[in-house]
Amino acid sequence: MSTITITMNGQKVSAQPGQSILRAAQAAGIDIPTLCHHPALAPIGACRVCLVEVAGQRTLQPACTFPVADRMEIQTESPKVVRARKFVLDLIFSERNHFCMTCEMSGGCELQDLGYRYGLDHWAYPTYTQRFPVDASPPHHLLDHNRCVLCRRCLRACAELVANHTLDLRQRGANTMVTADMDAPLGESTCVNCGTCLNVCPTGALVDKRSAFMARPPDVERVATVCSQCSLGCGVNVVMHRGHVLRLESLWDAPVSGGLLCRTGRFEALADGRPRLLEPVRKSKGEHVPISWEAALAAASQRLGATAPSRLGVFTTTRLTNEAMGLLHAIFVRHLKAAHRGASHSAAPGMTACRCGKLADIADSDLVLLAGSDPAQDQPVASFLIKRALDRGTRLVTVESRPTELTAFAETAFPPQQISKAVALARAAEKPVVIYGADLTPTEATALRKLEAKAVFIPLHPGVNTLTAETFELNGKMDAAACDTLFIAAGEENGTIEAVTRKAGPKAFVIVQASYGSALADRADLVLPMATWLERSGTFTNTEGTVHRAHAALTPSGQSRPDWDILGRLAERLGLDATIAKDAILTCRV
Amino acid sequence: MGNVLIATDWLAACAGCHMSLLDLDERLVELLYHVTFTSSPVTDLKHPPESGVTVGILTGAISNTHNIEVARRMRSRCTYLVAVGDCATFGGIVGARNLVGTQAALRRAYLETESTVDGQIPDSPELGRPLDFVTGVGDVVKVDIFLPGCPPRPDDLHYVFAEVLSGRIPVMLPRENFRYD
Ligand code: SF4
Ligand code: SF4
Ligand code: SF4
Ligand code: SF4
Repeated sequence: MSTITITMNGQKVSAQPGQSILRAAQAAGIDIPTLCHHPALAPIGACRVCLVEVAGQRTLQPACTFPVADRMEIQTESPKVVRARKFVLDLIFSERNHFCMTCEMSGGCELQDLGYRYGLDHWAYPTYTQRFPVDASPPHHLLDHNRCVLCRRCLRACAELVANHTLDLRQRGANTMVTADMDAPLGESTCVNCGTCLNVCPTGALVDKRSAFMARPPDVERVATVCSQCSLGCGVNVVMHRGHVLRLESLWDAPVSGGLLCRTGRFEALADGRPRLLEPVRKSKGEHVPISWEAALAAASQRLGATAPSRLGVFTTTRLTNEAMGLLHAIFVRHLKAAHRGASHSAAPGMTACRCGKLADIADSDLVLLAGSDPAQDQPVASFLIKRALDRGTRLVTVESRPTELTAFAETAFPPQQISKAVALARAAEKPVVIYGADLTPTEATALRKLEAKAVFIPLHPGVNTLTAETFELNGKMDAAACDTLFIAAGEENGTIEAVTRKAGPKAFVIVQASYGSALADRADLVLPMATWLERSGTFTNTEGTVHRAHAALTPSGQSRPDWDILGRLAERLGLDATIAKDAILTCRV
Repeated sequence: MGNVLIATDWLAACAGCHMSLLDLDERLVELLYHVTFTSSPVTDLKHPPESGVTVGILTGAISNTHNIEVARRMRSRCTYLVAVGDCATFGGIVGARNLVGTQAALRRAYLETESTVDGQIPDSPELGRPLDFVTGVGDVVKVDIFLPGCPPRPDDLHYVFAEVLSGRIPVMLPRENFRYD
């Protein structure tokens, strides 16, 4: 593309044709203030804070939407521009209650920053003239209309990013308000509580309930990590204050999710009320007694080493890191050759000959064929990505035995017997994408394979790090009743694991590596306390097969330790050649 | 005592802004080489002298007719008027009354409070009449310097004194002396 030359504040700057003045300025390191603009959203020029002077234009123009042209002359901070910006800010400040002292956002508010920048040290117009309601009906956030500046970022995020279209504006002029659906309380609306709107709001209007007023924005720190609630591996920022987690926020440059999170990933991942396991314990005369790590690992290795492979079982949650799974493989598959191996989730059937796609491919497809999977339930962010594509004209056909939330968006929903019709539609499409899950039957899988040459295939594996558990042969045959010794890496998993291990005989020696107390931990003969996802680093292989790095935000509570740390020490105890474990870990990173 | 005269007064205010002034600590001693505080709500002499002062400081919001009188008196007796604190600049915490309305606020305070027995809304002619709408000082008199903050930090007050004593009226506060909360 040929570049053009424009003049900004008397300085020659090169720009791309079609680029907005704002983008050209940003590229040149010239700061034009904005309020309604957000880098993840399409610009709309609503707030007029970015007004600039363009030579030859009768009026000031919004930099976020006005395209540059060759030899254009622009003033971004001339007296005329500054006067206009102050006027705009005076109007915005006067519209609602912007008394910062009692605002959660003070110190991190984009409107407040502008007030400081342009010296708004008193009100130019009467303020507080109208009282607006506060909608605290959603479970995890609230909307205080009194702080809203009507920038529309929230509604654009809900529409453009989440494709949920819950929010809109109602009324006109000074009475304009953000509203959900046909004026429903947010908590009773179609809102899926993903919290994306919360993350784009420039002011204190949309607030996270859990962390509200717990710390001033300048005092927090952020640790970027990977969500460990499903197999997508969305990026997430852990917001912390003095070693306490306040909330989880969008990580805008995350490869898979690009800032999206779902209700589970953003809110519920922090709402675990189960009691933590904080020290190694051993059962002695029916009672749990605390022991040292040394003693616990010695007891575990002794017991494991003394059990015949045919009587040895290992069961794992799919939430462990690649490193921990590699170690489980080294210890139980290669070294101890345990006959019984199980995982909390099984991967979707392999379609090895097919072109394995990335979630990003959904955006470019003209038809999505969804089979044997319920992403709205299990991998919500994937359902947002699908709906986003539908908004741009992509068609959706589903093959399903029961309706899901996405059924309503499907052009046709086929019952499993009619999968060939769905396949025919996909074959006629130009760039079809097949999204399939673990509910796919062998017959359906065979039918889908007919699209091998044509379509991109994206599996949606249940569980979390399920692909790695599969790679490391941890998901095999499991008969808990036939085991003398069971090693259960329960991690943060709950129900799924208890069901399997309940079958263990009363004499079986059960070793549990877990973060939270449960009936399973109560039953255990030996408990190895494990760090939570916020307390450990490591890598994950997501559903599309890409590896993502998680970073610990907290130090492990009590004596708990990261999954790989516990297993690494156990491997050492068992006298395993360290290189075996290392090799195992390296294989999973490829 | 120095020869620049300063008078302070408060309107609808808590005493926080004046406390912040006292919080200048040892810098107050230094300041007294340059200025004389003629009067303030916390000294024996309450009213600014009729002969006038160089700097008048007002804290608190305009909430009743008495506040308007006090603000006008200060304005007429000082060369430079400084509105100090969120109440004086924006209406501040007092301005929260605008969200419920003056009558509702009076009813709540004097009649409906859970601990009130036989309450009565004061209406003595000696009292200022509450206004329907709380505002900052700038809405009733001309203000030369606005210093927001609830309260402004001693450093911020010190900055303003230093500027005024050097003969400068800041057009815009430097970022480090400018806080809305
Ligand atoms: S939204 Fe921003 S400007 Fe408004 S009160 Fe809160 S911090 Fe202040
Ligand atoms: S939480 Fe998500 S779904 Fe709900 S309104 Fe906000 S962006 Fe839309
Ligand atoms: S709620 Fe926040 S994001 Fe939405 S319009 Fe108001 S200020 Fe903007
Ligand atoms: S979609 Fe999955 S990875 Fe993304 S935030 Fe939700 S649970 Fe976490």
